[in-house]
Amino acid sequence: FFMLAVRPGVPQPEDTVQFRVSMQMTKVDIKNYLEKIYNVPVAAVRTRIQYGANNKRNHKNQRVKKPDYKVAYVQLGQGQTFQFPNLFPEKEQDTETQSFDDFKNKYMEREQQKQKGDPRRGGVPDWFGL
Amino acid sequence: MAAAAGMAALCGRLRGVLRLGSAAAGIPGSTLSLFHKSLVQVEPLHPLRFLHTTLSQKGLEEFFDDPQNWGEKAVKSGDAWNIKQLRGKSSEDLHKLWYVLLKEKNMLLTLEQESKRQLRPMPSPERLEKVKKSMKNIDLVVREREIALRLLQTGHEKPVPGEWRHDFLGRTYWYTYKEWPIPWYLNKKYKKRRFYYLPHVNHFIRLRLEKALRRRVRRRNLERKRQKVLKRKFPHLAVKSQSH
Repeated sequence: FFMLAVRPGVPQPEDTVQFRVSMQMTKVDIKNYLEKIYNVPVAAVRTRIQYGANNKRNHKNQRVKKPDYKVAYVQLGQGQTFQFPNLFPEKEQDTETQSFDDFKNKYMEREQQKQKGDPRRGGVPDWFGL
Repeated sequence: MAAAAGMAALCGRLRGVLRLGSAAAGIPGSTLSLFHKSLVQVEPLHPLRFLHTTLSQKGLEEFFDDPQNWGEKAVKSGDAWNIKQLRGKSSEDLHKLWYVLLKEKNMLLTLEQESKRQLRPMPSPERLEKVKKSMKNIDLVVREREIALRLLQTGHEKPVPGEWRHDFLGRTYWYTYKEWPIPWYLNKKYKKRRFYYLPHVNHFIRLRLEKALRRRVRRRNLERKRQKVLKRKFPHLAVKSQSH
């Protein structure tokens, strides 16, 4: 009986939180789970089962199935709202990664300079004679 | 989240489920962290024994990690809980630890899904495996205790009686008795099932046995060969056998 919060693909109303839950969980189960374990007031729960496609093929040309999962749309009680947070904000790079990135950029610049032809030709490719 | 400030370096998360008397007093090091083994040490603070702390912000925050860890490349975490360590804990402690681990698992699954969505690498995916292993170990310990209790009370280790039976292919398996509304001699489908094997199956039993033995020996030899190769590559790390 797991439950994980997901970012909604389609914009949802303010009080609705989208979860992917275990396939065997019912609406009542989800409500009790959130209320007892997470202490979150729940007004309403709606669920649906998302079918995982079976179209992809692996290197042996066998069909590979993506797993099915159940999605629950939970509306919070007591007028609470929820916005899915940004879990990967831009952070300051420490000196190590910074210097590594600088080194990488300089190397790429040098490689591009080598690829360019003679500067005296003014950007004209070598294909043209003389 | 106020008590989180006083936490140790381990990636820990407070759970209001536990009696956080020590946390209210602001004593560092004895707050409950995920892989911190001081569950028992939270107890002996007599004046604050019956204090309950409320969960932070109605709990939806617990689906996500500490906000300081968002965007980090790697998050430190301790080792998984061992069976030996868990056997020493009381049932109440195990119950609370189970829910702590469950919430942590939900948080990590959320992080995994979000990282797939944002096409970013998940910071420290080994935390999930550790949590799963810990939960499995708790389950094993609880099962052991249940079996021990049942043995003492009734004298049987299994909850449902059963027996060893053969199937028509010569394999031996544990058959658990099931509840039926009618006796077996009136059950047509049950009478068609064969719990014996005919003599011609002995040849196949022998083949199966040979296959299993070959597999076992192959695995053992492979393990020995790997050890030999390692010994050759790293002679200085070889375990010195005690000379008598």
